[in-house]
Amino acid sequence: MRTRTPARIALYALLALAALAFVFPFYFMIVGALQEDPTTTPAGLLPAGGWTLENFALIDERVPLLRALLNSVVFTAGVLLGTLTFGLCAGYSLSRLHWRGRGVLFVVMLGVQMVPFQLLMIPLYVQVAGSYGLGDTFAGMILPFFINTTAVFIFRQFFLALPEEMFEAARIDGAGELRVLWSIAIPLVRPAIATVTLITFIGPWNEFLWPFLITKDATMQPLAVALANYISNIAQTVANPNGAILAGACALALPVVLLFCLFQKYFTASDIGAGVKG
Amino acid sequence: MTLTRRAFGATALTLPLALAAGCGRSPVDAAQAATSRGPIRIWVSNNEQELAWGQAVTEAWNTARPDEPVTLQEVPAGASSEEAISAAIVAGTTADLVFNASPAALPDWVRAGGLVDLTTFEGGREHIEQRSGERARGYAEDDGAGGYFQLPWKSNPVMVMFNREIFAAAGIDPNAPGMDTFESFLEGSRQIVGTGASASALWPAPTSDFYQPWFDFYPMYLAQTRGRLLVEDGASTFDSPDGLAVAELWRSLYEEGLAPQEESTDDAMTMGTTAMQLAGPWAIATYRDQIDYGFMPVPSADGISPEETITFADSKNVAMFSSSQNRLTAWDFLTFATSEEWDGKLLELSGQMPLRADLLDTYPDYFAEHPDYTAFADQADRVADVPYLSGSIEIWQRFRDEFSASAIFGKKSVGEALRRAAEQIDPLVQKGAR
Amino acid sequence: MSTSVPARTTGTRSTADSRGPLRRLLGAQPLGLGLSLPYIVFLAAVMAYPLGYAVYISFFDYVFTAPGMDMDHPFVGLENYRIALTDPRVLQSFGNIAVFLVINVPLTVILSMVFASALDSVTRWAAAFRVAFYVPYVTASVSLIGVWMLLFSQDGLVNTVLGPLAPDPSWLVNDALAMPSIALYVTWKQLGFYILLFLAALQNVPAELYESASTDGAGVVRRFRHITVPSLRATTLLVLILSIITGANLFTEPYLLTSGGGPDGASTSPVLMIYQKGIQQGNPDVASAIGVMLVILVGVLSLVSNRLTKER
Repeated sequence: MRTRTPARIALYALLALAALAFVFPFYFMIVGALQEDPTTTPAGLLPAGGWTLENFALIDERVPLLRALLNSVVFTAGVLLGTLTFGLCAGYSLSRLHWRGRGVLFVVMLGVQMVPFQLLMIPLYVQVAGSYGLGDTFAGMILPFFINTTAVFIFRQFFLALPEEMFEAARIDGAGELRVLWSIAIPLVRPAIATVTLITFIGPWNEFLWPFLITKDATMQPLAVALANYISNIAQTVANPNGAILAGACALALPVVLLFCLFQKYFTASDIGAGVKG
Repeated sequence: MTLTRRAFGATALTLPLALAAGCGRSPVDAAQAATSRGPIRIWVSNNEQELAWGQAVTEAWNTARPDEPVTLQEVPAGASSEEAISAAIVAGTTADLVFNASPAALPDWVRAGGLVDLTTFEGGREHIEQRSGERARGYAEDDGAGGYFQLPWKSNPVMVMFNREIFAAAGIDPNAPGMDTFESFLEGSRQIVGTGASASALWPAPTSDFYQPWFDFYPMYLAQTRGRLLVEDGASTFDSPDGLAVAELWRSLYEEGLAPQEESTDDAMTMGTTAMQLAGPWAIATYRDQIDYGFMPVPSADGISPEETITFADSKNVAMFSSSQNRLTAWDFLTFATSEEWDGKLLELSGQMPLRADLLDTYPDYFAEHPDYTAFADQADRVADVPYLSGSIEIWQRFRDEFSASAIFGKKSVGEALRRAAEQIDPLVQKGAR
Repeated sequence: MSTSVPARTTGTRSTADSRGPLRRLLGAQPLGLGLSLPYIVFLAAVMAYPLGYAVYISFFDYVFTAPGMDMDHPFVGLENYRIALTDPRVLQSFGNIAVFLVINVPLTVILSMVFASALDSVTRWAAAFRVAFYVPYVTASVSLIGVWMLLFSQDGLVNTVLGPLAPDPSWLVNDALAMPSIALYVTWKQLGFYILLFLAALQNVPAELYESASTDGAGVVRRFRHITVPSLRATTLLVLILSIITGANLFTEPYLLTSGGGPDGASTSPVLMIYQKGIQQGNPDVASAIGVMLVILVGVLSLVSNRLTKER
């Protein structure tokens, strides 16, 4: 039973201030994108007039938004598919099953996190586009991202936190391992799915460098590439460059933010797993 | 300890597996490809006008030769296109032809074995040298004696574009600005900013990308030295009184606040926050509706006359990749697309100058209708390009790093910077010169 | 970072039939290997080969060539490493990353812990607050950098507000402020993720601990220091390591925010050097050397973090 003490008011105030500071650039972005002449003065932060949808209309002219959106969806869906199936299996096997090589894999997983993409870029491209011949295909785009390692981590943590008794009970009843996985583990993992989805979603959706490399066909480019191109090359040359840049930025940010807001109630904190261990 | 042991175990296990995964890429049989015909792919920059040209020429070809169809693909313009192409060369996924090859990256592509020598085709050398004249030799191996791995296609000779209104407001006569010497250029710039006519005199991107010198230091250096390249005869040339004079000018411009040290977040010419820009004829199409523009030649220390001023070509060329399986078709298409007719179409659609000798005489009608471009066509006869050598991107990067530290940010004297740059660049030239 | 299981087990818990030799070879539940196999293959194909290749070429005089082009790749031992370490630009980039980490990592750990605790104890508008903190994390850097540049450019909002206090040269072109500006940006952007990690861990701190502490008269700060912080040790380690990895591998921000590396290289990062040397300039051998050194550095920092959080 908490009362409204000064400490609590201060707490809310601190959080509110921080939240406002965090969100401010977004406010700036949206307001600016809708302005004919985006401002850089404090006075202009609450503009009375000068509203326009022109900046967005311009993007639509130069960038095939719908097509790019579709490409992004396919790309992201592919990665989600791989992660939620194979990643889940890997996470489960790393936590709840004992087998030779399990520790090795875990160490490799950690190591994988540390390596910067730019170091691997060209050999990876040579491999995927050259050896495997997957240039200009969705398979080629998806491949390096197919199973998200952070997600495997999270699945592992989540399964570790589940009580051993549930699995023991099933095994004593004579269930084979696959049965245990199918009937016990998977139904229980539902709370983690939302979080994993969000974390896995962000990667391919916002990824620019790899799809840019792997596709020469402009109709295959996902939203991030199309808009990044727009922001860097085209937006400079229109009549209202600042507005165009902000509008481009908005267009790229919007789908993810929307999705997050819509589904955020599913990301309850306990998903990441109790007892986050090293 | 178990951690390290496991790490070793992990590597030991995965490495052989991994190396097995990286199977080979199959090369193209050059002898066969050189005599084959068939479908080909071409890459064109995604610049709107060039794309339009590309589509037109492809269509015309496909109608005339349906059994050797050409497919067009876009490669995004900019430095990143070089990277995409370099990666594609290594993977063997390049198209047959690219109509957007940067002469700075090209020697490295040759070294990597990614390109085809165009002189191996019948009439290859003649076509190139007849079309472009003497200066084509600057794009060939061994100073023109060796093979041509690129066909010099189009150039955007750099001149100084200025905003006539701002000049007038600053009290400079837009029809005769008289800013042809370094002294008068500096004076004029001071006037522009001093009278408040504009926030800055000019606003080149002060960033550290390796290609930025092509739009600030290099055009003036070429003008000043009457066409001396950054690197010539196996050594750098800019550590000299000429180089110093150019660098000093830029130092003054930045020091006195006449050029901002920060990149513009929008287009400064459009927004009127700057009065001048070093640009080529592509700028006419872009700014036609935005500002009232004028052009003048790049300045030099003592004011060389416009008829003799040399500037940077900013060329983009055509190259044939060694991954091409149907090289005869590719070559025929290349000659088709660089014929008088299609060079003319390029001129019409984009305003960029085909690297052709005697432009003004070849297309009199066009220039009669578009007098704005005449100055560029004239200037296009007196252009110089980047030095043809391997590893030139690293050379430009080192130059830019020193220029940035000295001229732009004043961390050291320009004299010292030029010296340091020469010290670093000379060994690189030795390593890479062809 | 230690794992909690030995590398080898005997089949202690399995009640399935005893296929002796197989079980001894593969462990108690060989299905585990089967389930992980797709992931293992994926890692081998996508990660191991390029990484192995990169490490390999760091010891040779290497240039990428087209298929079928035969070129000599002489072994040069540690020459590439020497070249990298004697290049002032490369050293500068490592120095810049040190500056970045010193600012970003403590700020991240502390702020995310504090905000997570604060969020944990509020009831109203919790969802709204969470959304606000998380939104920068889900948005692409490409989007946000445009906005950030407009805010922090010479004539941007921040400088206009600061008036005479505005730094000259401005933030992103000031060689003392460029890297800190990037550190600020990245902290803002990534904080939501770490807040969430801490929030999750906080759920598992039993309420009784707090209650008994407050009945004992401990104030907010005391409770935080003596209950919250120790309970979050494992998460703190995770946040430390993840933020070190993110920081050391910084690329997008120097690339986009201060194109080419800022005023006189003040905001270059090692990965930007890898990109410039390996991809732009065609020196993948030196680039790989830089990359290997970077990975080793990150590994060392991770081990140090592990040691540090354990000792407490």
